[in-house]
Amino acid sequence: MRVAVRATGDWEADVDETEGILVDWFAREGRSIEEGDTLCEIQVEKVSVDIQAPVAGTLDEIVVGEDDEFEIGDTLGWIRSE
Amino acid sequence: MSETNDVIDRELTMSRAMVESIAHEMRDNEEVFYMGEDVADYGGIFDSTQGLLDEFGRDRIMDVPISETAYLGAAVGAAQEGMRPIAELMFVDFFGVAMDQIYNQLAKNTYMSGGNVNVPLVLTAAVGGTYNDAAQHSQTLYGTFAHVPGLKLVVPSTAYDAKGLMHNAIRDDDPVMYLFHKRLMGIGWMPAPDGPKTPVPETDYTIPFGSADIKREGADVSVVTLGLHVHRALAAAESLAAEGIDVEVIDLRTLVPLDTETIVESVRKTGRLVVVDEDYRSFGVTGEIVASVADRDLGALDAVERVAVPDVPIPYARPMEDEVIPDAADIEESVREVVSSK
Amino acid sequence: MVSPDRIREMYGDMLTARHYEERLQEEYLEGKQPAFDISAGPIPGELHLAAGQEAAAVGVCHHLRPEDTVTAPHRPHHVAIAKGVDLKRMTAEIFGRESGLGKGKGGHMHLFDPDVNFACSGIIAEGCPPAAGAALAAKKRNEDSVAVAFLGEGAIDQGAFLESLNFASVHNLPVVFVIEDNDWAISMPKERVTDVEDGSDRAAGFDMPGVRVDQDDAVAVYEAAAEAIGRARDRNGPTLLEVQVHRRMGHFMGDPQTYRSDDDEEAALARDSIDRIESELRDHGVDDDDLASMRDDAETRVEEAIAWAKEQPQPDPEDAYDDVFVNPPSGVTTEEPEFELAEVNADE
Ligand SMILES: Cc1ncc(C[n+]2csc(CCOP(=O)(O)OP(=O)(O)O)c2C)c(N)n1
Ligand SMILES: [Mg+2]
Repeated sequence: MRVAVRATGDWEADVDETEGILVDWFAREGRSIEEGDTLCEIQVEKVSVDIQAPVAGTLDEIVVGEDDEFEIGDTLGWIRSE
Repeated sequence: MSETNDVIDRELTMSRAMVESIAHEMRDNEEVFYMGEDVADYGGIFDSTQGLLDEFGRDRIMDVPISETAYLGAAVGAAQEGMRPIAELMFVDFFGVAMDQIYNQLAKNTYMSGGNVNVPLVLTAAVGGTYNDAAQHSQTLYGTFAHVPGLKLVVPSTAYDAKGLMHNAIRDDDPVMYLFHKRLMGIGWMPAPDGPKTPVPETDYTIPFGSADIKREGADVSVVTLGLHVHRALAAAESLAAEGIDVEVIDLRTLVPLDTETIVESVRKTGRLVVVDEDYRSFGVTGEIVASVADRDLGALDAVERVAVPDVPIPYARPMEDEVIPDAADIEESVREVVSSK
Repeated sequence: MVSPDRIREMYGDMLTARHYEERLQEEYLEGKQPAFDISAGPIPGELHLAAGQEAAAVGVCHHLRPEDTVTAPHRPHHVAIAKGVDLKRMTAEIFGRESGLGKGKGGHMHLFDPDVNFACSGIIAEGCPPAAGAALAAKKRNEDSVAVAFLGEGAIDQGAFLESLNFASVHNLPVVFVIEDNDWAISMPKERVTDVEDGSDRAAGFDMPGVRVDQDDAVAVYEAAAEAIGRARDRNGPTLLEVQVHRRMGHFMGDPQTYRSDDDEEAALARDSIDRIESELRDHGVDDDDLASMRDDAETRVEEAIAWAKEQPQPDPEDAYDDVFVNPPSGVTTEEPEFELAEVNADE
């Protein structure tokens, strides 16, 4: 099953912008992931936010690459869970 | 994160690797604490302490008044009591207001006491330019601190090195200056070049001081450098490879102690030395390294070039800052120079 | 009583300073959204804006003459404007242009305008000793000029400040130290870094008057500064003056301010010194049209300065090598003069 890694979280309350930028991925496609691992860092209005893995599995696909923009709520990548 | 067949899956930015080793040491040793301006709630202006306040609280992640003489000096005193403070200068450029505590106390107390006193303090500081912060916020000052006897001096260039060197720094019984380059930290608002983000093991490990790392092997020219310029040298080496010039890139990782052995061995192989530094040219790192090699094996040196900040303060405007801070093209030019001269 | 004309002048500078910071913010953020990359956009480097701190600058500087010296810290624009620094060349410097005050070498934290004796430094509290030095020069030369050092409330824990107070006191120097208390030093609130609530209380330890203006009020600052500057001009010694101001923006542009509560930020925005001086002017019978035209004037001044600055050329890369010395090595006499020296060892 593929599970989406999405740009959402409590931090949304602290920002007005709807767009963000993906700063860093900490795993590459094909690598294994534990639930809760910090997968990537995003920046919205210069506020940095860590996005955690919603499930364990392997990072199947990176949808939003480093330095690319996205809208809050977008799917940043996909995890294939065990 | 799982590690299978010794493959490290996870990659970290340099700041996260540094923070991970600090947190590890703080968990292991109650006597380790961190002091600095804006290191608590802010997490360090350059992310050097991100997240540490949450885990360790204000007693151990201490915001301090803008009184560098007081808190750096206090760190010296606490270290002499046997604690293991880490004290941060937000920018290395601010050393001036606390120079005495660094140059005359921290560096010399061990010697003046005949070795009866030691100062296990780690002094962290952000260094470097490339983002137009001008003359008072862009220096590296590597040579200034390597010059005075008594300070060990660490300059990591990758996340992997940053973590291992930080573990070593905190466990070292002597004063260590740990200078991290802002451009390498992986901060969202100051994008790093490719290279400093590397796989980093979750376990603790140490990288011994005085062990330079050959970041790229090559037969024709030895480029010796540190910090940000490791990555600029690697970029230069890539493009020179296309011209058929095979460049070896040596990352010093620590200036004190200096791994002269690795440098001399490389120069014996290539015969050509290019030293690249983001500090001022005169009386500094480049001259020191050339002199060390000459001392050890003058005959091995066929050609030498130095690439450094020409002796001017770092200017503000972009065209001028770009002019004085060496870039990959400057390194390529000097490499071609040594290749054509010999 | 402060004259209505004086209040108008201060109001004009406050409007200019506020509009200036708001416009610089816009210019600075150009190219920095949505990704904030410090190296992008038309203004290089860091940028510390002073919106909300205008009252301190105008209330003090409107007592000063061009020959009086002012030093400012890393947040200098409002003080520079109140001191009469050339706005166009200052703006060109901030944009890193060749016709800037420092030919693009200094930047926004390092502005020097010798025509009005203004300078600033990015190192905390480091403007204090040179201000004392300018006062020392005035005293030695028997001139009646004075010096003023501006600094933040966070800076008063720095040795350079405390040593300067003592130095100025013992030498009875014509200098005024002005603390702009905006409650914050980047992310550190005042109460975390000092147990002395009022910075002005520190004056007692140096046997000089310490005065605090609790209101972010240009007229009240002007009155308190009259006393302090007068004392300096009359050669009666230094004063420490503290003014409550407010930080309406982040510490620097791009500061996420996650450490600051919404309440604190809203309170800072609510206490606007510009509203206050405006109502003062209304009390003096200045009408809406008049206020609007003053606002237009200030905006025009700022827009002209920014437009002019952006038309200026970038410096040449090679310009970086000039100005390390006024008398560069190539300009130094290279030949040693010849002298007939007495034969000291003649006996040997
Ligand atoms: C000696 C020194 N230490 C630290 C800094 C970094 N720094 C720049 S501004 C600042 C906070 C200053 O606070 P305050 O004096 O209250 O001025 P404000 O920014 O509030 O105007 C700090 C710590 C510096 N520039 N110089
Ligand atoms: Mg302040």
